[in-house]
Amino acid sequence: MRDNNNAIEITNMSKFYKVFYDKGHELKEVLLFWKRSRHEKKLVLDNISLDIKRGEAVGLVGKNGCGKSTTLKLLTKIIYPTSGTIEMNGRVSCLIELGAGFHPDMTGRENIYINASIFGLSKKEINRRIDEIIEFSELGEYIDTPVRTYSSGMYMRLAFSVAINVDADILLIDEILAVGDAYFQEKCFEKLRDIKAKGTTIVIVSHNLEQIEAFCDRTLWIKEGKIVMDGEPKEVHGKYLEYMSKGKDK
Amino acid sequence: MKHLKELFNYRQMIVGLVKRDLRGRYKGSALGFLWTFINPLLQLVVFTMVFSVIMKAGYEQYYLFLFVALIPWIFFSASVQDGATCIIREKDMIKKIYFPREVMPIAAVSSGAVNMLLTFIVIFIVLIVSGRGINPQAVLYLPLVMIVEYILCIGIALIVSALTVYFRDLQYILGIVTMALQYLTPVMYGADMVPEKYMTLFNLNPMTPIITIYRDILYWKVVPDMSTLLYAFGLGVFFVVTGYILFNRLQRGFAENV
Repeated sequence: MRDNNNAIEITNMSKFYKVFYDKGHELKEVLLFWKRSRHEKKLVLDNISLDIKRGEAVGLVGKNGCGKSTTLKLLTKIIYPTSGTIEMNGRVSCLIELGAGFHPDMTGRENIYINASIFGLSKKEINRRIDEIIEFSELGEYIDTPVRTYSSGMYMRLAFSVAINVDADILLIDEILAVGDAYFQEKCFEKLRDIKAKGTTIVIVSHNLEQIEAFCDRTLWIKEGKIVMDGEPKEVHGKYLEYMSKGKDK
Repeated sequence: MKHLKELFNYRQMIVGLVKRDLRGRYKGSALGFLWTFINPLLQLVVFTMVFSVIMKAGYEQYYLFLFVALIPWIFFSASVQDGATCIIREKDMIKKIYFPREVMPIAAVSSGAVNMLLTFIVIFIVLIVSGRGINPQAVLYLPLVMIVEYILCIGIALIVSALTVYFRDLQYILGIVTMALQYLTPVMYGADMVPEKYMTLFNLNPMTPIITIYRDILYWKVVPDMSTLLYAFGLGVFFVVTGYILFNRLQRGFAENV
């Protein structure tokens, strides 16, 4: 770490995706096409360097396919950079794929244990949080019925409640807050503000600029794999919207 | 070191996956969890017919001779086969969320280990009922050999799970290899029947010393040979270290290749 006040440090990071025309895993294909390159390298992120301080809330904006979600995936360590480094300081939780590992035949309560364990929580840590999670989900007595009986709203509420109660140092969010009804959404926002006030670092990818403005201290605009602007949300969004509307005119 | 500590933090996930697997495995079948026992017992009946009635292997209480080796063997072969597919099977999770990827092969092997432990209850009952009995002093070594086998299985599962992501034929190749290996490991016959000149070759198979030890403890009712136990342990450690290093290299590309 360059600076201990940083939660995230990205240094000269690039990411290539291999785009396969026709991908083969079979022996025949592997042997026959050993030397033949049937893929193209596509540059998704181009030499990005970035520091995010502890407790900062940062929004990522940009057109579809600009590399926002790839950045988030790299931060969660689902994928790895082709070159350069990423350093993270603290426990990471992500509201990207809610309800990972949910088992339809198990009850809500059992699924809380499974789902929370996927965030790296021990049984003791889950026991400590379980009441809070159940209360936040507002599932009441449904918590002891199998998840397959839930409506999609109930399912999302449960998943969100687990993810948000992990007590991460760094929280990564991709296009959420479309969870449940308006009332539950407001409650989620409230909770996120709480979490932010506690000093958690937050990175949000969203197309909803209002949400970012209401919430973030800083916006990064990513265009074709590069950070083209970095600053105060309103200012960046102004330029971004200007650019987007120009695109429409052409 | 940091990575191992993180893996330790994910122990609850391993426990959860094992529970999910054990519960879900025979769901919907009439006999349910009993299949865990029926499957090896049927194999036992068939092999006993062939090797003691038809081929006359000449071991007294052949079914016991076989039983105490067959169950550890089934654990091994299940570890290889479930291990091979454990990453590609869970591709949705691998693509979408982060967790130390080692969790998957460890959970796959652990659920096989739980199955083996449950079947060992049956083994003990059969040993007592058949009148063969148990030597408590020898049985003290049983947990040791189980741990050694568990380590070996995790090592192999780490290797095959990572390689299968990049090379899908491996899962089918492994099916054939484990079948062949069952006959090339002293499971249905004793290590004493192997000609002297092939013994070195047989001992390169990490399951040879392990099966021999199980049989020493439970069938011959003697304290196993320490050098054999140490040798088996050494092989287990070798596989687990190799597996860990290889897996760590290959896992970086999992999400893009599953």
